[in-house]
Amino acid sequence: MKLKIDGKETEVKPGTSILGAAQAMGVLIPRYCYHPSLSVSGNCRMCLVEIEGAPKLVTACSTPCAEGMSVLTASEKARAARRDVLEFLLINHPLDCPICDQAGECGLQDYYMEHGLHKSRFPQTDKVRRHKRRDIGKHLVLDNERCILCTRCVRFCEEITKTDELCVRERGDHSYIDLKPGARLDNDYSLNIADLCPVGAFTSADFRFRQRVWFLQRTPSVCAGCATGCPLEVHHKDNVVYRLMPRPVEGFPPWLCDEGRMTYKSLRAPGRPAAAFCEEGNLKPAAGLRFAASRLGKLKPEQVAIFGSPFMSLEDNLALAELAAALGTKNFCLHFNTEPGIKDGILMNTDHSPNSRGLALIHAVYGGYTREQFSERLASGEVKFILGRNEEVKAALNAARTDIPSSVFSFSDEPAPGRACVLPAAGHFESDCLFINYAGRLRRARAAVKAPEGVLPVWQAADRIASMLGAPIRLETRAAVLERIKAKIPELADAPLADDTAEFYLK
Amino acid sequence: MKKFKFSEEFNRKVAPTVARYPRAEAALIPLMQEVQRELGHFPDEAAQALAGLLGVSYARVKGVLTFYTMFRREPGGKYLLQVCRNLSCHLAGSVKLLEYLKGRLGIEEGGTTHDGVFTLITAECLGACGTAPVMMVNDDYHESLTVEKLDKLISDLRAAAKAHK
Ligand code: SF4
Ligand code: SF4
Ligand code: FES
Ligand code: FES
Repeated sequence: MKLKIDGKETEVKPGTSILGAAQAMGVLIPRYCYHPSLSVSGNCRMCLVEIEGAPKLVTACSTPCAEGMSVLTASEKARAARRDVLEFLLINHPLDCPICDQAGECGLQDYYMEHGLHKSRFPQTDKVRRHKRRDIGKHLVLDNERCILCTRCVRFCEEITKTDELCVRERGDHSYIDLKPGARLDNDYSLNIADLCPVGAFTSADFRFRQRVWFLQRTPSVCAGCATGCPLEVHHKDNVVYRLMPRPVEGFPPWLCDEGRMTYKSLRAPGRPAAAFCEEGNLKPAAGLRFAASRLGKLKPEQVAIFGSPFMSLEDNLALAELAAALGTKNFCLHFNTEPGIKDGILMNTDHSPNSRGLALIHAVYGGYTREQFSERLASGEVKFILGRNEEVKAALNAARTDIPSSVFSFSDEPAPGRACVLPAAGHFESDCLFINYAGRLRRARAAVKAPEGVLPVWQAADRIASMLGAPIRLETRAAVLERIKAKIPELADAPLADDTAEFYLK
Repeated sequence: MKKFKFSEEFNRKVAPTVARYPRAEAALIPLMQEVQRELGHFPDEAAQALAGLLGVSYARVKGVLTFYTMFRREPGGKYLLQVCRNLSCHLAGSVKLLEYLKGRLGIEEGGTTHDGVFTLITAECLGACGTAPVMMVNDDYHESLTVEKLDKLISDLRAAAKAHK
């Protein structure tokens, strides 16, 4: 079906809204209540546009295109109407911007600069006063005064989480957003409401007052909180991560779960090691690696075990597999039992590890023991030293009911049983790395911040250890690792590993 | 929230009411009115139960419940007196009628008498301007009212309430 928008011809599928058609042409019509992932509500009236020949303006979000229609999105009439709508919305809005966390990404501020610029005709003292700073859930704070009643939050709880905690109460300027009696807004996805809310009514309790948004830098990454691997953006400043936000990717819901959103906290968790804790005391990270290498060097290959992990990136696991091969040990495990799947119909996965599919690819090429066999090997008493990720080494040793000296790459200083050395490791927000999600989709994370001084990603640490042992694996640079991945893993031979945007699925 | 149980009679009315409309959601207001007819008000627990029954969200029912002033959220008296206070009735003397009622019943607007017989509220135009001033007693209209007529009406209602007890 053909129509004209601002004088330009365009063709759309029947049923497309005017707003959608305009957006496809790059014309952004102002909106508050419309959200691409929610039902259309048409209540804010900010998207009014003129249709040539029609007596009244229409809402672009809820009006479908019609054959031959000629839409004017920025005519004098449409702009005047938007200015008036905005003035209405601002009648009872508090003048909070200086202390409002939404400032800088607020729909009211933005459109006021574009369309309003009016002086308020309503005395501040006549404004309707409402509840401010309501503690409404674990992660959210609600300011009813700032709300413009677009109902995005209500629709999100109705349609996405289906938990139905919110409602609009009363009528006219008595209306306000309220909780269902006895409920708290603490569903698994509640923080998305702070993103959805076009104004500063819902804000994140975690992010509030910690940083002004215009100072933040953004780095595209993925969440490593579970096997879904949601695309996200890391917002950081001066090497500190302040928040994780969903990153819009075609064909993927624009949400994150609350748990995933909080994963950045591990970067600055109080127990996170920045030095190596070894039997000989605390060492600089590089000295820790030397210590681990010297222990390994004294042992025969059969006495050494290496343990890959679905919680580590493709790069890390490949380097560990190469290290095992270089050392000539058969005692290595690149296997993980999992039954991935979306458990709540939204995003969260039954598999908590971000890279079990990636690990499986490496397992298929390099072989090694299954988890069960590995556990038997550990229990046999032949193995004298184990290298791997803290949590998993701990679990494997517990399962095998043994205590073997180990060097563990760790993100936390929780001691592993019988540990010889805890080696600090760079997290996935601190290094470029790859995961493969449960559906076989390649996931790329870009380093957003720098790891603490001297702390390396596991692949690089494995490369150093191999060199110290005189069995180099030649993975000094990430480019070399990517080359090796392509050369070794047939499924990834033509994958666009270094390209940030190209989508890639395993066959 | 307490679990709400609909009456047998209500349950019998659900299917035919829903059948009158193209979508189940459209039966929301009639069914809410039905609950209110039975109980005299529409309690919050019923909002949750009705939402489940019609397959709509609680937010939807609560929104409708609080949007329309015709729904009562708190239990009220046996007789709900709604005095019209819009233009025609105002000109025809509704202010006097309201003052009279407040005095005789000893309650303010929105109040309920101690014996639980009367609840007094005001309403916007009741659509009977031709016979202003107008007051509704539950579902019935009382038109062309005067203080004398009102006085008798209240006495009659009191007597009826007593007889019922
Ligand atoms: S709280 Fe925010 S999202 Fe919810 S109705 Fe108000 S402005 Fe919209
Ligand atoms: S669903 Fe999984 S990948 Fe997505 S945000 Fe949550 S933890 Fe992260
Ligand atoms: S965006 Fe169209 S009415 Fe709100
Ligand atoms: S003004 Fe009272 S019925 Fe119309």
